[in-house]
Amino acid sequence: MSIAYLGRESLRQLKNMRAMIFTLAVPLVMLLAFGGTFGGRGQVDAVTHLPWIVVTTIQVSAYGGMMAALSQAFNIVTERSLGWNRQLRVTPLTGTGYLLSKLVAALALALLSIVVIVGVSIALYHPVLPAMSWMLACLAIWAGVVPFALLGILIGQFAKPEFAQPLFMAVFMGMAVLGGLWIPLQIFPAWVANVAQAVPSYWLNRVGQLGALQSGDALTPALVLTAWTLALGALIVWRYRRDAARG
Amino acid sequence: MNTSPAIRLSGLRKTFGSLTAVDGVDLTVNAGEVIALLGPNGAGKSTTIDLALGLARPTAGTAELFGGDPRAAIREGRVGAMLQGGALLPTLTVAESVALVASAHRHPLSVAEALERARCTEIAKRRVAKLSGGQMQRARFAVAVVSNPDLLFLDEPTAAMDVEARRTFWLSMREFTDQGRTVVFATHYLDEADAYADRIVMLARGRVVADGTPAEVKAVVSGRRIAATAGFAWTPEVAAALGALPGVRSVDQRNGRLTIVSDDSDATLRALLAAHDDLHDIEVTAHTMDDAFLALTESRDDATAPTPHTLSEGALR
Repeated sequence: MSIAYLGRESLRQLKNMRAMIFTLAVPLVMLLAFGGTFGGRGQVDAVTHLPWIVVTTIQVSAYGGMMAALSQAFNIVTERSLGWNRQLRVTPLTGTGYLLSKLVAALALALLSIVVIVGVSIALYHPVLPAMSWMLACLAIWAGVVPFALLGILIGQFAKPEFAQPLFMAVFMGMAVLGGLWIPLQIFPAWVANVAQAVPSYWLNRVGQLGALQSGDALTPALVLTAWTLALGALIVWRYRRDAARG
Repeated sequence: MNTSPAIRLSGLRKTFGSLTAVDGVDLTVNAGEVIALLGPNGAGKSTTIDLALGLARPTAGTAELFGGDPRAAIREGRVGAMLQGGALLPTLTVAESVALVASAHRHPLSVAEALERARCTEIAKRRVAKLSGGQMQRARFAVAVVSNPDLLFLDEPTAAMDVEARRTFWLSMREFTDQGRTVVFATHYLDEADAYADRIVMLARGRVVADGTPAEVKAVVSGRRIAATAGFAWTPEVAAALGALPGVRSVDQRNGRLTIVSDDSDATLRALLAAHDDLHDIEVTAHTMDDAFLALTESRDDATAPTPHTLSEGALR
């Protein structure tokens, strides 16, 4: 396994300005819209007891991190259709190494996305929260992004180029809406909130809140996110083995 | 020193559903040889290269590079390739592409050196999306040589190149082979195979139909084709008699139209006209490489046609 390659692949993706702007634009607009509306007047959210702007920032960060991670699907689909991954097969890089490079890049992009969103929120709205809470919130969201990176990789493995865009949008919208990353779940019927409990994006938002609170039940979100990670990881390995056997 | 051949393919077969892309290829390439895989589209050139590299699994048979598993040779950085449908990422510059692939290798050349060898230094900072066809192939060549390989596979490397780009490309290829390295390139241009290869392996319908020096293979491809409408009945005896005329390499007949491939069309035509006065619409044309492929493959499928017999010993498989 070449560490140099993993680094270079991540760096290349971070330097791809067009893709980065695309990844960051929507969450930043969401932050400005919500933050500008309910901004720095210090209201406190009744459920979490966190300042409203902190809840919003965490929600948008989860959204941004998720989007950055899932977007690996496009990288993989594009590289497959170009034949770039065929070129890489004439190097010591293994198939596992290739997928790992995408996981690392997904995490790098997600981290940048989370940090930028939190940074912009702090600079514009001066939310009152200890630095340690911000750190924990960011780390929790970043760790929670892993299953989304795997989901992006899985879509990349499966989807034909013309099918990738609609599939990505369906998964992405579903995750964003059901997880309450777009609109608060309270406005939906109760059954939606129940369904949300099974969706990783709901818990991605929740681990961010727990990080900010520095307390609460972290076991349930950890279990749900780990279960998703293991299931998606198993699917990726299965798919990869099947592709390799077909050759 | 390792004396294993650079490439050894034995009984290699690959089927995709009902299509047989490679149909029993045996091929040994020694270190230092420059081999052209010559054949029309769909002859099995690209699939053979994929199998040799271990990128596709053979349905039957084995592929070895340097006496071992192709993957092992690739891991050691001993193999480079410009593959069919192996493009570069459009958002990267040429230098970035080379650097990215170099970082996957264990002991690569410096990026500058690889660019230099592929004559890409002046296009190093250009984005892949903005390259012309010829520049693109040079960039891909730089990516292929960055591991400093002993063996290089080039699948139609000069496709989309103009004459000048082609000349430059082969110049850098020559520098590469002058250092005693092994090159296998696929092409459907006989002149390219003739000019740059020590040995030409002709593939058609997934089989090796000829394997020899450029002179030997050119002898197969050269010659003329005599076509005429025959007024006489077509029988095996007639076919045998025509096959025995001077210079005749192969005889074929379809819908009353007779086709003879000959190494000496003057002698054949004289004898032919002396034997038959009921021939019309006689044409004599240069025998193209496609005709040669067709003749070589049909002689194997169609038992009634005479076997080509002018190939020198060892050239015909």
